[in-house]
Amino acid sequence: MIDMLEQFFTSPVMQDALPPAFFIAIVASTMSVMILAHRLSFLTVGISHASLAGLGLAIAFSLPLLPTATVFCVGIALLLAAIPKQRGISEDTGTGLLFAGSMALGIVLISQVSRNEVDLFGLLFGNILTVSEQDWHWLLLIGCIILFAFIMMARAWWSIAFDATTAAASGLPVSLLRLLLYGTVGLSVVMCVKLAGIVLTTGLMVLPATCAWLWGRSLISLWLLSMSFAIIGTFIGLLFSYYYDWPSGATIVLTLCIMFIMSWGAAWLTQRNK
Amino acid sequence: MSSPIVSLSHVNFGPSNTLILDDISLDLEAGHFMGIVGPNGAGKSTILSIITGRLQPDSGHIDLFGECLKRFNRYRLLKNIGYLHQLHDYTPNLPLKVRDIVAMGLNDYTKPLWQWLGSASHQHKDIIQALQFVEMEHLIDRDFRHLSGGQQQRVRLARALVRKPKLLLLDEPAAALDSNQQQKLYTLLRQLCDTQDVAIMMVEHDIAAITGHVDSVACLNRSIHHHAMKGEQIPEDVWHQMYGQHMHVIAHDTGCIGCHHD
Repeated sequence: MIDMLEQFFTSPVMQDALPPAFFIAIVASTMSVMILAHRLSFLTVGISHASLAGLGLAIAFSLPLLPTATVFCVGIALLLAAIPKQRGISEDTGTGLLFAGSMALGIVLISQVSRNEVDLFGLLFGNILTVSEQDWHWLLLIGCIILFAFIMMARAWWSIAFDATTAAASGLPVSLLRLLLYGTVGLSVVMCVKLAGIVLTTGLMVLPATCAWLWGRSLISLWLLSMSFAIIGTFIGLLFSYYYDWPSGATIVLTLCIMFIMSWGAAWLTQRNK
Repeated sequence: MSSPIVSLSHVNFGPSNTLILDDISLDLEAGHFMGIVGPNGAGKSTILSIITGRLQPDSGHIDLFGECLKRFNRYRLLKNIGYLHQLHDYTPNLPLKVRDIVAMGLNDYTKPLWQWLGSASHQHKDIIQALQFVEMEHLIDRDFRHLSGGQQQRVRLARALVRKPKLLLLDEPAAALDSNQQQKLYTLLRQLCDTQDVAIMMVEHDIAAITGHVDSVACLNRSIHHHAMKGEQIPEDVWHQMYGQHMHVIAHDTGCIGCHHD
């Protein structure tokens, strides 16, 4: 067992992959709390799939991948925050629309490029094992922006999630804060796409706080719990993916799912025994 | 003489052929407890939304604390307002303790996380005080979602009070309370006006329940049909002239003058 862990930590692949994986897990689980509080899980589905169009554009015009995807995702997120209410379209309709449209655009763009230039499997299902130095710097930059935004605005976002009407009436600039929240969610989706891929990003953005939701009783405790769940899930997931050669993103999401089921069962048992 | 806490002059709201509010003018002084009554759809809640700047009036002028309410000073002026909206407007889904909810009413609640940690103790005192006022301090560590409707309502009131507002805007605050609790609540509000000079504007549909507590009642249905001060008697012929039907002016009840369409 000790040998196993030692081998895991000393393998050059994992030494490259562990810091970004844990960093992404921390950032994703932080925003996860807000995503649950504001019920934005479908938004993360929409933005992550829309990122395919961003990646498609980057590939088609040979722009840097992550920065292009970042700009594109944040743009889509802000669009979704701003448009629906004014045009009388409900938010989930707007999300579904943009999600399908940009996914289609992405597929068309990527199909024009020869197959061996694009790691499509990696885009769709994530590949943390191929983080370049440049990617890592970019991830660090946007991760720090997200954490900073969270620390600055967590309480305002929390207050809006609880009761937006009162928050507005007591002097909070609610629409601006909501715009910033969507933008920050867009940023965190980009980070998760690197780890878990387009298809599995939502799992990483929703599951940690969902596990924590059963136990936490305040913003801070939810945040800490969510981070702990994400870190443990990422660690166990990577361990399994290393030994059994499973895809890393999928294994992490699967681990988080199992953790949720266990956490849910434990919560149910403690409540029954009360 | 100090300027009134709220002053509305000639406020109109809504499309010109179907105005929701028509030429509303009213003043509210510090320490004054005003009840606004009227039928459903009379624009009662709209008035409160306009005062909190959530809706822009189509014409007219609003002064808060002697300053003209504008986009840029709105957020600063609103910090002196406690607001309680109608119950059906919201569904709590967050795991929160009662103390956290009351803390949300504090003006410095939305500060960055690290600043909050430093100022917890004096906030704790304010929170306890607000909860004591609504007799809920024994439930301070309970999960908000597990409280009854009436208890939740009192916690929400504590959240509106914890910032020590100069103006309280209440939209049917007694909706989830039994009649005993209602009378208790009105007595508490009366006390706030008398001892702390808070101005209160309260929307309520049950006039009979509030007449003993308020200083004045504004009967609203699109426009203010009457603004009666406490103990004021209005010549009956004025009402006959205005509405052409028999009205009980003194005993406010569900047949209140202002509450009928002409």
